[in-house]
Amino acid sequence: MSKPMPAKKKVKFGVYMKRYWQLYAMLALPLIYLFVFKYLPMVYVQIAFKKYSIVKSIWQLPLAKNHGFEYFIKAFGNNDFRYALRNTLTLNLLDLLFGFPAPIIFALILNELCFQRYKKVVQTITYMPHFLSWVIIYSLALQLLTPETGFINMLIENLGGTSIPFLNDPAHWIGSYIAFGIWQNFGWGSIIYLAAISGINPELYEAAAVDGAGRFRKMWHITLPGIRPTIVVLLIMNLGNILGGGFDRPFAFQNNLVMKVADVIATYVYRVGIKGLQFSLTTAVGLFQSVVGVVFLLMANWLSRKLGDRGIW
Amino acid sequence: MKKKILSLLLASAMVVSMAACGESGNSGTAPEQPAEQTETKEEAKEEAKEETKEEPAAEEPAAEPSELTDGKFAETRKITVEVYDRGNDGGSDPENNMYTEYIKKGMLEQHNVEVTFKKVPRWTEVDDINNLLAGGEAPDVCVTYSYPTILTYADMGGVIDLAPLLDQYKSELPNLWAWLGDENIYWDKDPKTGTVWAVEGRRFEQQRIVTFVRQDWLDKLGLQAPTTTQEFEDMLVAFRDNADTLLGKDAKKMVPFSISKDVGWRAANIITSFMDPSISDKDYYINGFDDRMVTEPQTKEAVRLLNKWYNDGLMRKNFSLAPDDTEEDDMIKAGYVGAFQHNWDMPFRNGEDSYNANLARNVGPDAKFVAIDPFTNSAGKHAKWLYSTAGDRKSFFPITNQEPLASLLYLDFISQPDVIKYLQIGDEGVTHEVLDSGAIQIKAAEGDAIQNSGKNIDMTITCNGAYYGDKDLAALSLSYGYAGIDPELVDNASKIAMTDGLTPKNVNVGTIEAEAGVGDTLSAKRDQAYDLSVECAAADFDKVWDDAIADYLSSGGQAIIDERTEKWAEYFGDSDMLP
Repeated sequence: MSKPMPAKKKVKFGVYMKRYWQLYAMLALPLIYLFVFKYLPMVYVQIAFKKYSIVKSIWQLPLAKNHGFEYFIKAFGNNDFRYALRNTLTLNLLDLLFGFPAPIIFALILNELCFQRYKKVVQTITYMPHFLSWVIIYSLALQLLTPETGFINMLIENLGGTSIPFLNDPAHWIGSYIAFGIWQNFGWGSIIYLAAISGINPELYEAAAVDGAGRFRKMWHITLPGIRPTIVVLLIMNLGNILGGGFDRPFAFQNNLVMKVADVIATYVYRVGIKGLQFSLTTAVGLFQSVVGVVFLLMANWLSRKLGDRGIW
Repeated sequence: MKKKILSLLLASAMVVSMAACGESGNSGTAPEQPAEQTETKEEAKEEAKEETKEEPAAEEPAAEPSELTDGKFAETRKITVEVYDRGNDGGSDPENNMYTEYIKKGMLEQHNVEVTFKKVPRWTEVDDINNLLAGGEAPDVCVTYSYPTILTYADMGGVIDLAPLLDQYKSELPNLWAWLGDENIYWDKDPKTGTVWAVEGRRFEQQRIVTFVRQDWLDKLGLQAPTTTQEFEDMLVAFRDNADTLLGKDAKKMVPFSISKDVGWRAANIITSFMDPSISDKDYYINGFDDRMVTEPQTKEAVRLLNKWYNDGLMRKNFSLAPDDTEEDDMIKAGYVGAFQHNWDMPFRNGEDSYNANLARNVGPDAKFVAIDPFTNSAGKHAKWLYSTAGDRKSFFPITNQEPLASLLYLDFISQPDVIKYLQIGDEGVTHEVLDSGAIQIKAAEGDAIQNSGKNIDMTITCNGAYYGDKDLAALSLSYGYAGIDPELVDNASKIAMTDGLTPKNVNVGTIEAEAGVGDTLSAKRDQAYDLSVECAAADFDKVWDDAIADYLSSGGQAIIDERTEKWAEYFGDSDMLP
C-alpha cells in the first residue's frame, strides 16, 4: 500500500494476470459462445428490411419497399399479428401477475417447515413438473380436462355438476393455461429464493424472536426484505420478456376453438414465417419483439434504481 | 497444482454444457454463411435493381444430349431423391427396402445413375423441405403436395425451370411424356412466362371421399343402408339411442358419426350435397383456393346441419381438441364409431392394420365398414368432387440440383409401365398373387417387401393409384388391391365414389400473388371456422360462422378471391364457364 502508485500498478497487472489467467481462460469460452450464437446471427436482422431469398447471400438481397419498412407496415396491418401481439401481452402479464409471486410464496412456506425430510420430499416433488415437456403436459391436460371424457369433468358430472370447458372455451382456456404454467414452474422457481433465504443472517431471526415477533412478523420484516434484491432482479428479467415467452407452451395448448386468445407471437412467427415461408415478415416481427423487450427491460431497471434497489446494472 | 486441475476440470465441464446448449442456440433464420463481403453495398444494390427473373437452368451450360449413349451416362452420376417417411408401425425402412433397391439397380443399369434416397417425415414435409432447401441439402428430386410451396421457392430463385429441359431432352424421356402427357407436364406452366416449376404426378384413380357405415350395426338394428340425408340422420339417431344394444358396457363411448378437426374433408360428401348443382366454373374457381369449400355460399347450411347433429349428441364430442387423428383411429378400430367420411378406401388400407381387419379382430367377424351414398343435392344427385388427373404430388428440382438430366431420367424411369407395375405389386407370391382371371391380388407382405404407403405411392411419385402398368389389368384388379379385404366391399366403395362425380378443371391463369405464403394461415383459419361453428351452441351458430368467415377473409381469403376474379376476367372475360 505504501509503494509508489505507478510502479505498483504495472507490477500488479502482470502479477494479477499470472495469478488468475485460468479464470480468464475459462471466461473466454462463454464469450465465444455468446459471440457465435448470439451476436453473429444479428447480422441476419437485416432480413427484416430486405426481400428475402432462400438462395441468395443476404448481402445481395434487394431492399424491401418503403425504404425497407415494407414488412413492418405489413405486419401491423395484419389482423393476426395484432391478435398475436395482444394475446402475448395478456398471457405474459397474467403469467407475471399470478406466476411470479407463486414461487416466492412457496419458498416462504417451505422455509417455515422444520421437518427437514418432509421439506426435501416436497421440494423434489414440486421440481418434477419442470422436467416435463409441454407436449406431455398437454396430453395430461387432455386426459384430465376434456369435457365428458376428462377425469376431472367426469368427477364433476358424477357429483352432479356440469362439466367445465377448461380447454375449449377461450376464458377457461386462459385460466387453464396460466394454471398449468404455475404448476410447472413454481417448484423450480422457488430454488433461487430458497438460496437467497438461506443467505439471511440467522441472528436477525433470533433478535426478532427476542423482541417477541411471531412467524408472520419475521417473514414480513426479515425474510421478505432479505430476498428483495433477488425478487427485483427476477422481476426485471421477467419484464424484459414481456413480449417474448416460450413457443412450446402456447403451441402445445392451442386448439382451433381458442386460437383467438391462444395465438401468440412465437406461434404466429412459426406458422407464417417458417411454415408460410415469409421470412422477412416474421424477422420484422421478431425484431419488433426484441426491441420492445429491451425497452421494458431498461424501464424496469431504471424504475428499480429509482426506488432504491440495485437493478441489474 | 490443485487449482490448475480444478480450472481445467471446470473448463471442460463448461465445454460439455455448451455443446448441450448449442442445440437450442438460435443460429439465425438464414441459411447461408455470411457471404464474402468483397462487394460494396452499392454494388449489391445495383445488382438488386438489375435483378430480373433469371432462368437458373438456362445459365448452366445445358448438358448435351450426346452425353447419353443408349440412355446411359459415360460416367456414373449421383442423385438424391426425396422419399416420405410415414413412420408406420412395423413398416420397412423407407430409404432401403425391396423397392428402393429395385429402383437403384434399374437406374444404374439403364442410365448409369446412382440413386440415394433421402427420407422426409410425411406429416411435416413442407417444414422439412424448407430446412433442407435453406441448408442447401435438399434432395435433387423433391416432391410435395403443396404447389404454393414450390411457387414460393421459385419466386426466391430456388427452383429450376423445367420447361427448357423437358423440351431439350424430350427424346430421352419417352416414358415420362407418355405417362404424364402434355396435360400433366404443362399443368402448372405459367401462361405468360412459360416457366414450368414442377411436373404434376398423375392420379390414376379419381375416387375421392366416401361415407362409411358399420354394416353389422345396421343389421343388428334391422336398418337399411340410408339413401337420403334424412335417412342418414335417422340412422345416427338410431345408433345413439341403441348404444346399449350395440356396445353393451361401452355404450358411453358410442360415436354415431365421427369427424376430425379437418371438417372440410371429413364431411365433404355432406358439404358437396349442399353445393349449387349448377355451379359455374368461375364460381368454383374463385372460391377454390383450397378444396374444403369454406367460402362457397351454401357451405354454411351444411355446417348448420353438422352443428345440429353435434348438439344432438350424434357426433364425436370435442373432436377439435385432439392434436391429431390417432385417438380417432383407435376409436374406429375399437369399434365405437358408427359412421364416418374419408378417403374412398380408408377402411381397407394398411393390410393387417386396416380398420376392417381391426374390427374383425376386436369386435367379431361380422364387424366391418361398408360404403354408402346417402347425401343428395337439390337436383337429386349424389354429387361428389373427384380428383383431377393432376393435383397429386408435384416433383421439382431445387436450384442445388447439379444433375437435372439424371434427375429427369429418374422421373422417366419410374414412369415406365413395368416399373410402376413392379413398384405397386412387387414379386408374385411375396406381395401379390395372380388369380385365375388374371387379376392381381395384393397380399400382406413382410419385412423389406412391406409397402409403407397405400399402393406404394411413395415410391411411384409420378403415379397415384393402382395402375399395374396396364389399364385393363388395373380395372380387373382394383377390387383385389387390398390385402385381406373382401373384393366386393372395395368394388362397391369405388363405384359409390365415382357416382355423379364432378371433375375439377384446370384453370391456369398464372400465379396468384395473394396466395403466396398464406396457405398455412388460411388452412388454420378454415379449420377454425368449421370447428367453432360445428361445436358452438345452435343459437350462436350464425354469429360464430359469420365472424369466423370474416376472419378468414380478412386474413387473406378475400384478397385471393379478388385476384382470382380479376385473373378470370383477364383470361376468360365475361364467360362463366371455361372454354
